Amino acid sequence: MKRRECIAGLAAAAVWPTPPAWAARTDRLQIGLTPVILADQLAFLSRWSRYLGAQVGIEVNFVARESYQSILDLLWSGQIDAAWICGYPFVRFEADLNLLAVPLYEGVPLYQAYLIRSADAPDGPRSWGDLKDRVLVYSDPLSNSGWLVAQAQLTHAGVAPRELRRAFFAHGHRNVAEAVAAQLAHAGSIDGYVWETMRLQGMPAAARTEVIWKSEPFGFPPLVTARRATHPHIERLQVALLGMANHPAGRELLVSLNLTGFSAGSSSQFDSIRRQATQVPGSGVTV
Amino acid sequence: MFGRLPYRVQIPLGLSLAVLIAAILVTGITARVSAQNARQAILSLLDRAVVLVIAQVRPMMVADDTWRVFALLRDTAELVPGATAGQARLAILDAEGRVFAASDPVQLATGRTLLGKPWRDQPTPDPAAVTQRHQIYRGDGSVVMVDPIRSEDGQTLGFVLTEVDAAVFAPDWPSLAQTALLAIALAVALLVPVGWWVGQRMTRPVERLVAVIERIGKDDPSQLRGAVPATTDPELSRIGDAVNQLMGELEQRKLAEDRALSAERLAAVGRMTAAVAHEINNPLAGLLTATQTLRLHGRSDHIRTRTIDLLDRGLQQIRTTVAALLPQARMEDRPLEPGDLEDIVTLVRVSAGKLDVDIRFGMDVESALRVPSAPLRQVMLNLLLNAMKAAGEKGVVSARLAADETEVTFCVTNNGPPLSAEKFRTTLAAESGRDPRGFGLWVCQELASHLGGRFELDEMQTDQTRLVFQVPNREAPEETT
Repeated sequence: MKRRECIAGLAAAAVWPTPPAWAARTDRLQIGLTPVILADQLAFLSRWSRYLGAQVGIEVNFVARESYQSILDLLWSGQIDAAWICGYPFVRFEADLNLLAVPLYEGVPLYQAYLIRSADAPDGPRSWGDLKDRVLVYSDPLSNSGWLVAQAQLTHAGVAPRELRRAFFAHGHRNVAEAVAAQLAHAGSIDGYVWETMRLQGMPAAARTEVIWKSEPFGFPPLVTARRATHPHIERLQVALLGMANHPAGRELLVSLNLTGFSAGSSSQFDSIRRQATQVPGSGVTV
Repeated sequence: MFGRLPYRVQIPLGLSLAVLIAAILVTGITARVSAQNARQAILSLLDRAVVLVIAQVRPMMVADDTWRVFALLRDTAELVPGATAGQARLAILDAEGRVFAASDPVQLATGRTLLGKPWRDQPTPDPAAVTQRHQIYRGDGSVVMVDPIRSEDGQTLGFVLTEVDAAVFAPDWPSLAQTALLAIALAVALLVPVGWWVGQRMTRPVERLVAVIERIGKDDPSQLRGAVPATTDPELSRIGDAVNQLMGELEQRKLAEDRALSAERLAAVGRMTAAVAHEINNPLAGLLTATQTLRLHGRSDHIRTRTIDLLDRGLQQIRTTVAALLPQARMEDRPLEPGDLEDIVTLVRVSAGKLDVDIRFGMDVESALRVPSAPLRQVMLNLLLNAMKAAGEKGVVSARLAADETEVTFCVTNNGPPLSAEKFRTTLAAESGRDPRGFGLWVCQELASHLGGRFELDEMQTDQTRLVFQVPNREAPEETT
C-alpha cells in the first residue's frame, strides 16, 4: 500500500467511526450513475469503464440506481467513490460534495428542462397552466428538471399541486417520456438533454411525445465526490474525464453520450438551480 | 360409379375415403372443441394474471408508485391474449374506484373514476360493494372482472379491473383451418397409403378365391383345393370352405357321371347284343322250316330251287345284319323286290301257324323299287312278328306293300286290342334303351329315321292297330353302308 493511500485510509477512518470493509478498497473506482443519462446501455458502460480504467490505471466500475437518493446513499456510505447526480442535489448537499467534472452538452455545461406531452393527444396541455385536473409525471424528487423546475413553474402558473388530478414519479427521465407517450400522464417534466438524446437515438417514447415548454439554461448534472472520503485515484479519474475530448476513443464515447466533453466546472454554474430551489417550499435549499 | 369398380379396388378406396372423412370430421370437431376451450383457457389465464398482479401490486400501491404499477400491468398484459392488439386491458383502481394505473391508459385514463359509474353503457358496482370478484358479461361476449386488493389486515387497497373484448374469445378460424388442413394432409399422407395397403391385404384372399372359382371345371379339383387360401377371417374361411365343398361335390358328380357312362356303355353293348340276337333270331325259324321243307320235298326241282333261294336270301339278310355291326365292312345291298314280301310272309308263317293267325298280304307296286332290301326286310319281318303277337290266337294280320315314284309304304294291320297313340309312344321310348324284348318297333323307327322316312301309328283306326312305315323310294344314304 502506498503511503498516500495509507494516509487517505487513516483520514477516512477518522471521519467514519466504523469504516465499512469496502472503504479500504483502493484498487478500483466505483462511479454511481443516476437517470441523468441512459444508464441501462450496458455495452456502452462496459466500454467506458474499460477506457477510464486504462486511463486511471485501476479498475473502474459503474453502479446504476433508479433514484438519486439511492446513489447519494451509496456515496455517503462510501460504497461508491464518485456519482453523476443532478444539479439540484448538488446545490442541496453542496457542503458534503466536491465537483469532479461537469459534462459539456453542445459545447457548454448547460441543459434545459422540458415539459412534454403526448404527440397522439392533440387536446393535451399546452402550458403549465393547462395542467389543472391533469396527470403530471415527474422523474425523481431530487431531480432539478424532473421535479424542482416543475414545482417552480406550477407555482408560477398558479397551479397548486393539489389541483393536479394526479402526480407521480417515474424513477427516471426515460420513464417520464414513456409514461407521457403511453398517455399514463398528460404531461411530464423531463431533462431536455435526455429527451434530445432519446430522440437522437430514435426511441419511440421520444417520437411519440412533443415539447411544449423549455426552461432557462441550468448547470448540467455534475459528477461529484464525497467531500469526506476521497479515493486516492480520484484526481486521475478527473484528468481522464477532462481529457476524453482529446482522445479518439474518448471522443467516440462522448458521441455515444451525446456530449462534447467534460469540464472542471464551478459551483456558480448552478446558481440558477440554487435560486429556483430557494423559491420552492420544501426543496431543502435555503438562501 | 363406385359400385362398378372391382372389389379389390373398392375396399382400399373405401378405406382411404373413410380415413379422409374421419380425418375431416375429427379435425372439425377438434377445432370446434378447441374453440370452445379457448374461452375457458383465456378466462383461466386471466385468473392467474389477476392473482399475480394482486400479489405484486400491494407494496406499490402502499408506496403510491403509479409508474411501477403501470410497468407491472404493461408487462402482465403481454401475457393476456389480445392485449397487444388493444382487445384486453388491465387496470388498478384505488379504493375509491379511480384508475390508479392501467396497461392501456388511452382507454383507462389515469385518475378516471370507474366504479359506481357507467362504463361502456353498463353500470358498474360501487367500490364498497365489491367484496369479492364481480364479473360483468356483456351481450357482445366481452367480459369485465373486478377483483378487490386487500391488505394483510383485510383493508381494501384497491381493485384489479380486467376487461377482455369479445374479439379475443372469437375462434381464430383461419388458424384453426390451417391446423386442420395440416392435420388432414398428414392423415392423408400417412393413413391413406396404410388404408390402401390394408385394403389390398384384405382383398388378396378374395382375389385368390375368385381365381380358384374361375378355374373350377377347368383344372383338377385336387390341385384347386390346395390353391384355396387359408385365412383366419371367419367370413373368408366360410367362403373357402364352401368352395372346397363345391369342388368336392363336383368331383363326386364327375365320378358318378363316369360310372353312369360306363354303365350306359355296358347297357348299350347288351342292347346291341340283344338286338343282333333278335334280328338274327327272327329269320332263323323260317330258315329252319325251309331246311325241313328241303329235306322233305327236295326232290322237286321247283321246291328245291325255291327253298334254296329262300335260304340264300334269309342268310343274306343275317349277313347284312351282322355286317352292319362292322364299321369297316362295306356290304353291297340289293334293292327291295316284290318277292321279298312273300319271303318274309313265308318266314313268319311258321310262327303264325302256332298261333293260328291268319296272315294276309297284298302289293301295290307301281314303280321300280330302289330302297335297300335288308332294312326293308328287317322292318317287314319285325312288324309282322309284332302284329302276330298283338293279334293273338285266331287273329288276323294284314300286310300291304305299296310303292310309287316317290315313296315306298309298308302297312301292317292286326285286329288285336287297339294300340293307343300314348301307348305307342311309350313303347317306342321304352324300347329305345331299357326294354330289349320289344326291340322291333324301336328298330323300325330308327330305320325310318335313317332312311329319311317315318314310322307311325294310324290314329284313324280305332278298332284295330295299323302301323305305317314309309320311306322315300330311293337308295339308302351313303353313310349307311
